[in-house]
Amino acid sequence: MNTTPTIDDILEGLIVALQNEIIPHLSNAKSVATAMMMQSLVQQVRQVLPMMDASIANEHNEMTRTLREVAAVLGDVAGPEADRIRERAASLGSLADVPVPVDQTPVREAHARLGYGLQETISDLDVLQRAGHASADAALQRLREYLMPMIMQNIAAISVGGGMVGRG
Amino acid sequence: MEQAIIGVVTRAEPGLSDAEIVDLQPIPGGFSRETFKCDIAVTRGGAREVLPLIIRKNPPDVEAILNTSRAVEHDLIEALRTKTKVPVSRSYGYELDPALFGEPAMVLERASGSGQTSALFNGGADEDQCEDVIRHLCEVLVELHSADISTVDPNGSLVDPRGVGIRAGSWDEYMDTTFEYYIGEYGTIAWDPVMMTILDSFLTLRRNKPRPMPLAVVHGDFNPANFLYENGKVSALIDWENSRVGDPREDLGWMVLMDILSNTQVMSYPKKEGGFLAYYNKLTGNDITPEELGYFTLFGTANIAVPVHQSVARRIRKEHMLLLPLYLIQSSLPALPAMAQLMGYPGTTA
Repeated sequence: MNTTPTIDDILEGLIVALQNEIIPHLSNAKSVATAMMMQSLVQQVRQVLPMMDASIANEHNEMTRTLREVAAVLGDVAGPEADRIRERAASLGSLADVPVPVDQTPVREAHARLGYGLQETISDLDVLQRAGHASADAALQRLREYLMPMIMQNIAAISVGGGMVGRG
Repeated sequence: MEQAIIGVVTRAEPGLSDAEIVDLQPIPGGFSRETFKCDIAVTRGGAREVLPLIIRKNPPDVEAILNTSRAVEHDLIEALRTKTKVPVSRSYGYELDPALFGEPAMVLERASGSGQTSALFNGGADEDQCEDVIRHLCEVLVELHSADISTVDPNGSLVDPRGVGIRAGSWDEYMDTTFEYYIGEYGTIAWDPVMMTILDSFLTLRRNKPRPMPLAVVHGDFNPANFLYENGKVSALIDWENSRVGDPREDLGWMVLMDILSNTQVMSYPKKEGGFLAYYNKLTGNDITPEELGYFTLFGTANIAVPVHQSVARRIRKEHMLLLPLYLIQSSLPALPAMAQLMGYPGTTA
Protein backbone atom coordinates (compact mmCIF):
# COMPACT_ATOMS: atom_id res chain seq x y z
CA MET A 1 0.00 0.00 0.00
CA ASN A 2 1.07 3.56 -0.46
CA THR A 3 2.10 5.21 2.79
CA THR A 4 1.97 8.66 1.21
CA PRO A 5 -0.29 10.55 1.54
CA THR A 6 -1.08 9.41 5.08
CA ILE A 7 -4.64 8.97 6.26
CA ASP A 8 -4.09 12.11 8.30
CA ASP A 9 -3.03 13.99 5.14
CA ILE A 10 -6.30 12.99 3.47
CA LEU A 11 -8.42 13.97 6.47
CA GLU A 12 -6.62 17.30 6.67
CA GLY A 13 -7.35 17.72 2.95
CA LEU A 14 -11.07 17.28 3.59
CA ILE A 15 -11.06 19.96 6.29
CA VAL A 16 -9.17 22.39 4.07
CA ALA A 17 -11.40 21.66 1.07
CA LEU A 18 -14.51 22.27 3.13
CA GLN A 19 -13.02 25.58 4.22
CA ASN A 20 -11.70 26.78 0.86
CA GLU A 21 -13.78 25.02 -1.78
CA ILE A 22 -17.20 24.44 -0.18
CA ILE A 23 -18.05 26.90 2.59
CA PRO A 24 -17.45 30.07 0.51
CA HIS A 25 -20.05 28.82 -1.98
CA LEU A 26 -22.78 27.80 0.48
CA SER A 27 -25.78 30.07 0.38
CA ASN A 28 -27.41 29.59 3.77
CA ALA A 29 -26.28 29.64 7.37
CA LYS A 30 -27.54 26.13 8.15
CA SER A 31 -25.41 24.61 5.37
CA VAL A 32 -22.37 26.54 6.59
CA ALA A 33 -22.98 25.27 10.12
CA THR A 34 -23.28 21.70 8.83
CA ALA A 35 -20.03 22.06 6.90
CA MET A 36 -18.32 23.36 10.03
CA MET A 37 -19.67 20.40 12.00
CA MET A 38 -18.21 18.13 9.35
CA GLN A 39 -14.84 19.85 9.78
CA SER A 40 -15.05 19.37 13.51
CA LEU A 41 -15.92 15.67 13.21
CA VAL A 42 -13.16 15.04 10.67
CA GLN A 43 -10.72 16.75 13.03
CA GLN A 44 -11.97 14.44 15.79
CA VAL A 45 -11.20 11.44 13.56
CA ARG A 46 -7.69 12.84 12.96
CA GLN A 47 -7.12 13.04 16.70
CA VAL A 48 -8.67 9.70 17.62
CA LEU A 49 -7.32 7.55 14.83
CA PRO A 50 -3.61 7.52 15.83
CA MET A 51 -4.28 6.46 19.41
CA MET A 52 -7.51 4.50 19.22
CA ASP A 53 -6.20 0.93 18.75
CA ALA A 54 -3.56 1.29 21.45
CA SER A 55 -6.05 2.91 23.83
CA ILE A 56 -8.64 0.18 23.32
CA ALA A 57 -6.04 -2.51 23.97
CA ASN A 58 -4.66 -0.72 27.01
CA GLU A 59 -8.12 -0.15 28.42
CA HIS A 60 -9.05 -3.78 27.79
CA ASN A 61 -6.11 -4.94 29.88
CA GLU A 62 -6.72 -2.34 32.59
CA MET A 63 -10.39 -3.28 32.88
CA THR A 64 -9.68 -6.98 33.43
CA ARG A 65 -7.19 -6.10 36.14
CA THR A 66 -9.61 -3.60 37.71
CA LEU A 67 -12.41 -6.20 37.84
CA ARG A 68 -10.09 -8.61 39.59
CA GLU A 69 -8.75 -6.03 42.04
CA VAL A 70 -12.21 -4.64 42.86
CA ALA A 71 -13.28 -8.16 43.86
CA ALA A 72 -10.12 -8.63 45.90
CA VAL A 73 -10.60 -5.35 47.76
CA LEU A 74 -14.19 -6.31 48.49
CA GLY A 75 -12.97 -9.37 50.32
CA ASP A 76 -15.45 -11.88 51.76
CA VAL A 77 -18.51 -9.64 51.92
CA ALA A 78 -21.68 -11.77 51.58
CA GLY A 79 -24.75 -11.17 49.43
CA PRO A 80 -25.89 -11.48 45.83
CA GLU A 81 -24.24 -8.19 44.73
CA ALA A 82 -20.88 -9.25 46.09
CA ASP A 83 -21.29 -12.68 44.52
CA ARG A 84 -21.90 -11.07 41.11
CA ILE A 85 -18.79 -8.91 41.48
CA ARG A 86 -16.68 -11.99 42.29
CA GLU A 87 -18.27 -13.86 39.37
CA ARG A 88 -17.33 -10.98 37.00
CA ALA A 89 -13.79 -10.99 38.33
CA ALA A 90 -13.59 -14.71 37.64
CA SER A 91 -15.08 -14.55 34.15
CA LEU A 92 -14.45 -11.16 32.48
CA GLY A 93 -11.53 -10.43 34.77
CA SER A 94 -9.75 -13.55 33.63
CA LEU A 95 -9.64 -12.60 29.97
CA ALA A 96 -6.07 -12.70 28.75
CA ASP A 97 -4.28 -9.44 28.07
CA VAL A 98 -4.34 -8.42 24.40
CA PRO A 99 -1.23 -7.10 22.66
CA VAL A 100 -0.95 -3.31 22.49
CA PRO A 101 -0.12 -2.23 18.89
CA VAL A 102 3.29 -0.68 18.51
CA ASP A 103 3.82 2.73 16.94
CA GLN A 104 3.56 2.18 13.18
CA THR A 105 5.66 5.19 12.21
CA PRO A 106 9.02 3.35 12.00
CA VAL A 107 7.34 0.44 10.20
CA ARG A 108 5.96 2.80 7.56
CA GLU A 109 9.34 4.49 7.18
CA ALA A 110 11.07 1.16 6.65
CA HIS A 111 8.31 0.14 4.23
CA ALA A 112 8.99 3.27 2.17
CA ARG A 113 12.76 2.64 2.15
CA LEU A 114 12.17 -0.90 0.93
CA GLY A 115 9.78 0.31 -1.73
CA TYR A 116 12.26 2.82 -3.09
CA GLY A 117 14.86 0.05 -3.06
CA LEU A 118 12.65 -2.04 -5.33
CA GLN A 119 12.04 1.00 -7.52
CA GLU A 120 15.79 1.51 -7.99
CA THR A 121 16.14 -2.19 -8.72
CA ILE A 122 13.71 -1.82 -11.63
CA SER A 123 15.93 0.90 -13.11
CA ASP A 124 19.08 -1.20 -12.69
CA LEU A 125 17.42 -4.24 -14.23
CA ASP A 126 16.40 -2.16 -17.24
CA VAL A 127 20.05 -1.34 -17.96
CA LEU A 128 20.91 -5.03 -17.75
CA GLN A 129 17.95 -6.02 -19.92
CA ARG A 130 18.96 -3.56 -22.61
CA ALA A 131 22.48 -4.98 -22.46
CA GLY A 132 21.02 -8.36 -23.36
CA HIS A 133 21.15 -10.21 -20.02
CA ALA A 134 18.26 -12.67 -20.21
CA SER A 135 18.46 -13.34 -16.49
CA ALA A 136 17.53 -9.70 -15.89
CA ASP A 137 14.21 -10.38 -17.66
CA ALA A 138 13.56 -13.23 -15.25
CA ALA A 139 14.66 -11.12 -12.29
CA LEU A 140 12.20 -8.39 -13.26
CA GLN A 141 9.43 -10.97 -13.43
CA ARG A 142 10.34 -12.09 -9.91
CA LEU A 143 10.05 -8.50 -8.71
CA ARG A 144 6.73 -8.13 -10.52
CA GLU A 145 5.57 -11.32 -8.82
CA TYR A 146 5.74 -9.43 -5.54
CA LEU A 147 4.13 -6.31 -6.96
CA MET A 148 1.01 -7.85 -8.46
CA PRO A 149 -0.81 -8.99 -5.29
CA MET A 150 0.33 -5.80 -3.56
CA ILE A 151 -1.28 -3.74 -6.33
CA MET A 152 -4.51 -5.73 -6.22
CA GLN A 153 -4.77 -5.45 -2.44
CA ASN A 154 -4.12 -1.72 -2.57
CA ILE A 155 -6.71 -1.09 -5.27
CA ALA A 156 -9.30 -3.21 -3.50
CA ALA A 157 -8.72 -1.14 -0.38
CA ILE A 158 -8.99 2.30 -1.96
CA SER A 159 -11.57 1.79 -4.72
CA VAL A 160 -15.13 2.90 -4.17
CA GLY A 161 -16.53 2.42 -7.70
CA GLY A 162 -18.75 4.79 -9.60
CA GLY A 163 -16.25 6.01 -12.20
CA MET A 164 -14.67 9.43 -12.10
CA VAL A 165 -16.68 12.13 -10.42
CA GLY A 166 -17.53 15.08 -12.64
CA ARG A 167 -16.67 13.39 -15.94
CA GLY A 168 -19.80 12.59 -17.98
CA MET B 1 -15.07 37.99 -15.73
CA GLU B 2 -18.24 39.12 -17.55
CA GLN B 3 -16.48 42.01 -19.30
CA ALA B 4 -13.59 39.78 -20.29
CA ILE B 5 -15.99 37.29 -21.88
CA ILE B 6 -17.76 40.05 -23.77
CA GLY B 7 -14.39 41.33 -24.95
CA VAL B 8 -13.37 37.97 -26.44
CA VAL B 9 -16.72 37.35 -28.14
CA THR B 10 -17.05 40.83 -29.62
CA ARG B 11 -13.47 40.70 -30.88
CA ALA B 12 -14.43 37.54 -32.79
CA GLU B 13 -17.70 39.06 -33.96
CA PRO B 14 -17.39 42.85 -34.16
CA GLY B 15 -20.96 43.12 -35.46
CA LEU B 16 -22.41 42.19 -32.09
CA SER B 17 -23.56 44.90 -29.69
CA ASP B 18 -25.40 45.37 -26.39
CA ALA B 19 -23.77 42.23 -25.02
CA GLU B 20 -24.91 41.00 -21.63
CA ILE B 21 -23.73 37.92 -19.73
CA VAL B 22 -26.45 35.74 -18.22
CA ASP B 23 -26.24 32.97 -15.62
CA LEU B 24 -22.45 32.63 -15.36
CA GLN B 25 -21.66 29.61 -13.20
CA PRO B 26 -18.87 27.09 -12.67
CA ILE B 27 -19.41 23.53 -13.92
CA PRO B 28 -17.36 20.33 -13.35
CA GLY B 29 -16.05 20.19 -16.96
CA GLY B 30 -12.94 18.08 -16.46
CA PHE B 31 -10.09 18.09 -14.01
CA SER B 32 -7.48 20.31 -15.61
CA ARG B 33 -9.28 23.61 -16.28
CA GLU B 34 -11.71 25.75 -14.37
CA THR B 35 -14.80 25.58 -16.53
CA PHE B 36 -17.77 27.92 -16.55
CA LYS B 37 -20.92 28.18 -18.59
CA CYS B 38 -23.07 31.15 -19.39
CA ASP B 39 -25.15 32.72 -22.12
CA ILE B 40 -24.39 35.99 -23.80
CA ALA B 41 -27.35 38.02 -25.00
CA VAL B 42 -26.38 40.18 -27.97
CA THR B 43 -27.85 42.30 -30.72
CA ARG B 44 -26.92 41.24 -34.23
CA GLY B 45 -28.30 43.10 -37.23
CA GLY B 46 -30.96 44.70 -35.08
CA ALA B 47 -32.25 41.41 -33.67
CA ARG B 48 -31.65 40.13 -30.17
CA GLU B 49 -30.19 36.63 -29.80
CA VAL B 50 -28.57 34.44 -27.17
CA LEU B 51 -25.29 32.58 -27.66
CA PRO B 52 -24.45 29.70 -25.30
CA LEU B 53 -20.83 29.78 -24.09
CA ILE B 54 -18.22 27.72 -22.27
CA ILE B 55 -15.23 29.40 -20.62
CA ARG B 56 -12.13 27.33 -19.95
CA LYS B 57 -9.70 29.01 -17.64
CA ASN B 58 -6.26 27.90 -16.51
CA PRO B 59 -5.86 27.23 -12.82
CA PRO B 60 -2.90 28.94 -11.11
CA ASP B 61 0.38 27.35 -12.25
CA VAL B 62 1.03 25.54 -9.00
CA GLU B 63 -2.42 23.88 -9.17
CA ALA B 64 -2.30 23.11 -12.91
CA ILE B 65 -2.35 19.53 -14.11
CA LEU B 66 -1.47 20.27 -17.70
CA ASN B 67 0.51 23.33 -18.72
CA THR B 68 -0.55 23.84 -22.30
CA SER B 69 -1.54 27.02 -24.12
CA ARG B 70 -5.11 28.17 -24.64
CA ALA B 71 -3.89 29.97 -27.78
CA VAL B 72 -2.66 26.68 -29.25
CA GLU B 73 -5.92 24.98 -28.29
CA HIS B 74 -7.92 27.77 -29.91
CA ASP B 75 -5.90 27.64 -33.12
CA LEU B 76 -6.32 23.86 -33.35
CA ILE B 77 -10.07 23.95 -32.74
CA GLU B 78 -10.56 26.61 -35.35
CA ALA B 79 -8.38 24.77 -37.86
CA LEU B 80 -10.37 21.60 -37.28
CA ARG B 81 -13.67 23.46 -37.51
CA THR B 82 -12.85 25.28 -40.71
CA LYS B 83 -10.63 22.78 -42.52
CA THR B 84 -11.91 19.32 -41.54
CA LYS B 85 -15.19 17.54 -40.82
CA VAL B 86 -14.26 16.86 -37.19
CA PRO B 87 -17.20 18.23 -35.17
CA VAL B 88 -15.94 20.77 -32.64
CA SER B 89 -17.38 23.70 -30.74
CA ARG B 90 -16.36 27.02 -32.19
CA SER B 91 -13.67 28.78 -30.22
CA TYR B 92 -14.41 32.51 -30.10
CA GLY B 93 -10.97 33.34 -28.86
CA TYR B 94 -8.61 33.42 -25.93
CA GLU B 95 -7.06 35.85 -23.53
CA LEU B 96 -3.56 35.14 -22.30
CA ASP B 97 -3.33 38.28 -20.18
CA PRO B 98 -4.13 37.05 -16.64
CA ALA B 99 -5.32 40.51 -15.67
CA LEU B 100 -8.64 39.94 -17.43
CA PHE B 101 -9.84 36.46 -16.36
CA GLY B 102 -7.43 36.00 -13.47
CA GLU B 103 -5.52 33.43 -15.55
CA PRO B 104 -5.28 32.70 -19.29
CA ALA B 105 -8.67 31.57 -20.61
CA MET B 106 -10.59 30.79 -23.75
CA VAL B 107 -14.23 31.22 -24.74
CA LEU B 108 -16.04 28.61 -26.77
CA GLU B 109 -19.47 28.03 -28.15
CA ARG B 110 -21.40 25.64 -25.90
CA ALA B 111 -22.24 22.93 -28.39
CA SER B 112 -25.58 21.23 -28.42
CA GLY B 113 -25.82 17.63 -27.30
CA SER B 114 -25.49 15.60 -24.15
CA GLY B 115 -22.23 15.19 -22.30
CA GLN B 116 -23.66 12.48 -20.08
CA THR B 117 -22.02 9.77 -22.16
CA SER B 118 -22.46 7.19 -19.40
CA ALA B 119 -26.16 7.19 -20.42
CA LEU B 120 -25.14 5.36 -23.61
CA PHE B 121 -24.08 2.26 -21.68
CA ASN B 122 -25.16 -0.20 -19.01
CA GLY B 123 -28.88 0.23 -19.58
CA GLY B 124 -28.64 4.02 -19.58
CA ALA B 125 -31.36 6.27 -20.95
CA ASP B 126 -29.66 6.68 -24.34
CA GLU B 127 -28.46 3.13 -24.87
CA ASP B 128 -30.58 2.93 -28.02
CA GLN B 129 -28.28 5.54 -29.61
CA CYS B 130 -25.03 3.84 -28.59
CA GLU B 131 -24.39 1.86 -31.77
CA ASP B 132 -24.84 4.91 -34.00
CA VAL B 133 -23.04 7.37 -31.74
CA ILE B 134 -19.96 5.20 -31.30
CA ARG B 135 -19.90 4.38 -35.01
CA HIS B 136 -19.82 8.10 -35.69
CA LEU B 137 -17.25 8.64 -32.96
CA CYS B 138 -14.95 6.19 -34.71
CA GLU B 139 -15.49 7.94 -38.04
CA VAL B 140 -14.69 11.26 -36.38
CA LEU B 141 -11.46 9.87 -34.96
CA VAL B 142 -10.46 8.57 -38.37
CA GLU B 143 -11.20 12.02 -39.81
CA LEU B 144 -8.94 13.59 -37.20
CA HIS B 145 -6.11 11.11 -37.73
CA SER B 146 -6.40 11.56 -41.50
CA ALA B 147 -6.09 15.33 -41.34
CA ASP B 148 -2.95 16.77 -42.89
CA ILE B 149 -0.70 17.89 -40.03
CA SER B 150 0.60 20.95 -41.85
CA THR B 151 -2.96 22.09 -42.51
CA VAL B 152 -4.18 21.67 -38.95
CA ASP B 153 -0.94 22.76 -37.31
CA PRO B 154 0.86 25.05 -39.75
CA ASN B 155 3.09 26.56 -37.06
CA GLY B 156 4.23 23.27 -35.54
CA SER B 157 2.78 24.21 -32.16
CA LEU B 158 1.47 20.69 -31.61
CA VAL B 159 4.83 18.93 -31.89
CA ASP B 160 5.77 19.69 -28.29
CA PRO B 161 2.86 21.58 -26.73
CA ARG B 162 4.07 20.92 -23.17
CA GLY B 163 7.52 22.25 -24.03
CA VAL B 164 9.30 19.17 -22.72
CA GLY B 165 11.75 18.49 -25.54
CA ILE B 166 9.73 16.18 -27.77
CA ARG B 167 10.69 16.22 -31.46
CA ALA B 168 8.72 14.70 -34.31
CA GLY B 169 11.01 14.69 -37.34
CA SER B 170 10.21 11.00 -37.67
CA TRP B 171 8.16 8.40 -35.83
CA ASP B 172 11.30 7.03 -34.17
CA GLU B 173 12.41 10.47 -33.06
CA TYR B 174 8.96 11.15 -31.64
CA MET B 175 8.93 7.91 -29.70
CA ASP B 176 12.51 8.18 -28.45
CA THR B 177 12.20 11.78 -27.28
CA THR B 178 8.89 10.93 -25.61
CA PHE B 179 10.55 8.08 -23.70
CA GLU B 180 13.26 10.52 -22.61
CA TYR B 181 10.53 12.81 -21.33
CA TYR B 182 8.68 10.09 -19.42
CA ILE B 183 11.77 8.56 -17.84
CA GLY B 184 13.42 11.90 -17.17
CA GLU B 185 10.34 13.17 -15.34
CA TYR B 186 9.83 10.05 -13.22
CA GLY B 187 11.66 11.63 -10.32
CA THR B 188 9.02 14.37 -10.23
CA ILE B 189 6.10 11.96 -10.00
CA ALA B 190 7.42 9.32 -7.60
CA TRP B 191 5.44 10.58 -4.62
CA ASP B 192 5.36 7.06 -3.17
CA PRO B 193 7.02 3.75 -4.07
CA VAL B 194 3.60 2.53 -5.22
CA MET B 195 4.45 4.45 -8.42
CA MET B 196 7.19 1.98 -9.36
CA THR B 197 4.78 0.13 -11.67
CA ILE B 198 4.59 3.32 -13.71
CA LEU B 199 8.39 3.48 -13.89
CA ASP B 200 8.32 -0.15 -14.99
CA SER B 201 5.86 0.82 -17.74
CA PHE B 202 8.09 3.65 -19.01
CA LEU B 203 11.09 1.36 -19.25
CA THR B 204 9.06 -1.50 -20.71
CA LEU B 205 7.72 0.81 -23.42
CA ARG B 206 11.25 1.88 -24.36
CA ARG B 207 12.45 -1.73 -24.60
CA ASN B 208 9.55 -2.86 -26.80
CA LYS B 209 8.88 -0.29 -29.52
CA PRO B 210 6.27 -1.52 -32.02
CA ARG B 211 6.25 -1.01 -35.79
CA PRO B 212 6.26 2.62 -36.90
CA MET B 213 3.20 4.35 -38.23
CA PRO B 214 2.72 7.76 -39.83
CA LEU B 215 2.33 10.48 -37.21
CA ALA B 216 -0.95 12.35 -36.98
CA VAL B 217 -2.68 15.00 -34.92
CA VAL B 218 -4.07 13.08 -31.96
CA HIS B 219 -6.75 14.27 -29.59
CA GLY B 220 -4.61 13.35 -26.62
CA ASP B 221 -7.46 12.74 -24.17
CA PHE B 222 -9.81 10.65 -26.27
CA ASN B 223 -11.99 9.20 -23.56
CA PRO B 224 -15.67 8.45 -22.91
CA ALA B 225 -16.23 11.83 -21.27
CA ASN B 226 -14.82 13.99 -24.06
CA PHE B 227 -17.57 14.03 -26.63
CA LEU B 228 -21.13 15.31 -26.86
CA TYR B 229 -23.88 13.51 -28.77
CA GLU B 230 -27.40 13.98 -30.00
CA ASN B 231 -29.68 12.12 -32.39
CA GLY B 232 -27.28 9.24 -32.86
CA LYS B 233 -24.33 11.44 -33.83
CA VAL B 234 -21.34 13.00 -32.14
CA SER B 235 -22.12 16.70 -31.98
CA ALA B 236 -18.65 17.69 -30.76
CA LEU B 237 -15.32 16.31 -29.66
CA ILE B 238 -14.30 18.45 -26.72
CA ASP B 239 -11.31 19.17 -24.47
CA TRP B 240 -8.41 19.58 -26.89
CA GLU B 241 -5.85 20.81 -24.38
CA ASN B 242 -3.63 17.72 -24.62
CA SER B 243 -3.78 17.45 -28.40
CA ARG B 244 -0.46 17.01 -30.14
CA VAL B 245 1.33 15.39 -33.03
CA GLY B 246 1.70 11.75 -32.11
CA ASP B 247 1.00 8.17 -33.03
CA PRO B 248 -2.69 7.66 -33.87
CA ARG B 249 -2.71 4.46 -31.84
CA GLU B 250 -2.33 6.63 -28.70
CA ASP B 251 -5.96 7.77 -28.88
CA LEU B 252 -7.20 4.21 -29.26
CA GLY B 253 -5.06 2.92 -26.43
CA TRP B 254 -6.07 5.67 -24.05
CA MET B 255 -9.74 4.98 -24.78
CA VAL B 256 -9.18 1.33 -23.83
CA LEU B 257 -7.98 2.32 -20.37
CA MET B 258 -10.53 5.06 -19.81
CA ASP B 259 -13.31 2.69 -20.87
CA ILE B 260 -12.26 0.47 -17.98
CA LEU B 261 -11.92 3.29 -15.46
CA SER B 262 -15.17 4.94 -16.58
CA ASN B 263 -17.22 1.73 -16.62
CA THR B 264 -18.21 2.33 -20.24
CA GLN B 265 -17.89 0.14 -23.35
CA VAL B 266 -16.87 2.44 -26.19
CA MET B 267 -14.37 -0.12 -27.51
CA SER B 268 -17.10 -2.78 -27.82
CA TYR B 269 -19.05 -0.66 -30.33
CA PRO B 270 -20.13 -0.51 -33.10
CA LYS B 271 -21.08 -4.12 -32.52
CA LYS B 272 -22.15 -4.61 -36.13
CA GLU B 273 -18.55 -3.87 -37.15
CA GLY B 274 -16.95 -6.07 -34.51
CA GLY B 275 -16.07 -3.22 -32.15
CA PHE B 276 -14.22 0.09 -32.29
CA LEU B 277 -10.78 -1.23 -33.28
CA ALA B 278 -12.18 -3.43 -36.05
CA TYR B 279 -14.17 -0.53 -37.47
CA TYR B 280 -11.20 1.83 -37.18
CA ASN B 281 -9.05 -0.69 -39.05
CA LYS B 282 -11.74 -1.12 -41.69
CA LEU B 283 -11.89 2.63 -42.28
CA THR B 284 -8.12 3.22 -42.27
CA GLY B 285 -6.64 -0.06 -43.47
CA ASN B 286 -4.07 0.29 -40.70
CA ASP B 287 -4.57 -3.24 -39.36
CA ILE B 288 -3.69 -2.24 -35.81
CA THR B 289 -3.32 -5.38 -33.70
CA PRO B 290 -4.61 -5.93 -30.16
CA GLU B 291 -0.96 -6.13 -29.07
CA GLU B 292 -0.26 -2.69 -30.51
CA LEU B 293 -3.41 -1.43 -28.85
CA GLY B 294 -2.09 -2.76 -25.55
CA TYR B 295 1.25 -1.07 -26.11
CA PHE B 296 -0.39 2.28 -26.75
CA THR B 297 -2.71 1.86 -23.80
CA LEU B 298 0.45 1.86 -21.72
CA PHE B 299 1.97 4.68 -23.78
CA GLY B 300 -1.14 6.85 -23.48
CA THR B 301 -1.37 6.13 -19.78
CA ALA B 302 2.22 7.26 -19.38
CA ASN B 303 1.47 10.47 -21.25
CA ILE B 304 -1.30 11.42 -18.86
CA ALA B 305 0.36 9.90 -15.80
CA VAL B 306 3.29 12.31 -15.91
CA PRO B 307 1.36 15.59 -15.51
CA VAL B 308 -1.32 14.07 -13.29
CA HIS B 309 1.16 12.66 -10.82
CA GLN B 310 3.30 15.79 -10.94
CA SER B 311 0.16 17.54 -9.73
CA VAL B 312 -0.32 14.92 -7.00
CA ALA B 313 3.31 15.32 -5.94
CA ARG B 314 2.93 19.11 -5.64
CA ARG B 315 -0.16 18.63 -3.45
CA ILE B 316 1.61 16.11 -1.24
CA ARG B 317 4.44 18.62 -0.80
CA LYS B 318 1.65 21.07 0.15
CA GLU B 319 2.61 23.58 -2.52
CA HIS B 320 -1.16 24.07 -2.63
CA MET B 321 -4.08 22.55 -0.74
CA LEU B 322 -6.67 21.69 -3.42
CA LEU B 323 -8.58 18.48 -2.84
CA LEU B 324 -8.55 17.30 -6.46
CA PRO B 325 -5.04 15.76 -6.51
CA LEU B 326 -5.91 13.64 -3.48
CA TYR B 327 -8.98 12.43 -5.32
CA LEU B 328 -6.83 11.76 -8.40
CA ILE B 329 -4.84 9.23 -6.37
CA GLN B 330 -8.01 7.29 -5.66
CA SER B 331 -9.27 7.55 -9.23
CA SER B 332 -5.98 6.90 -11.06
CA LEU B 333 -4.34 4.08 -9.12
CA PRO B 334 -6.99 1.61 -10.35
CA ALA B 335 -5.17 1.85 -13.70
CA LEU B 336 -2.26 -0.10 -12.22
CA PRO B 337 -3.76 -3.62 -12.58
CA ALA B 338 -4.50 -2.98 -16.26
CA MET B 339 -0.94 -1.68 -16.73
CA ALA B 340 0.46 -4.73 -14.96
CA GLN B 341 -1.57 -7.00 -17.18
CA LEU B 342 -0.31 -5.25 -20.31
CA MET B 343 3.28 -5.75 -19.14
CA GLY B 344 2.68 -9.44 -18.49
CA TYR B 345 3.06 -9.41 -14.72
CA PRO B 346 2.91 -12.91 -13.21
CA GLY B 347 -0.62 -13.71 -12.11
CA THR B 348 -2.21 -11.79 -14.95
CA THR B 349 -3.42 -13.07 -18.29
CA ALA B 350 -1.87 -11.07 -21.12
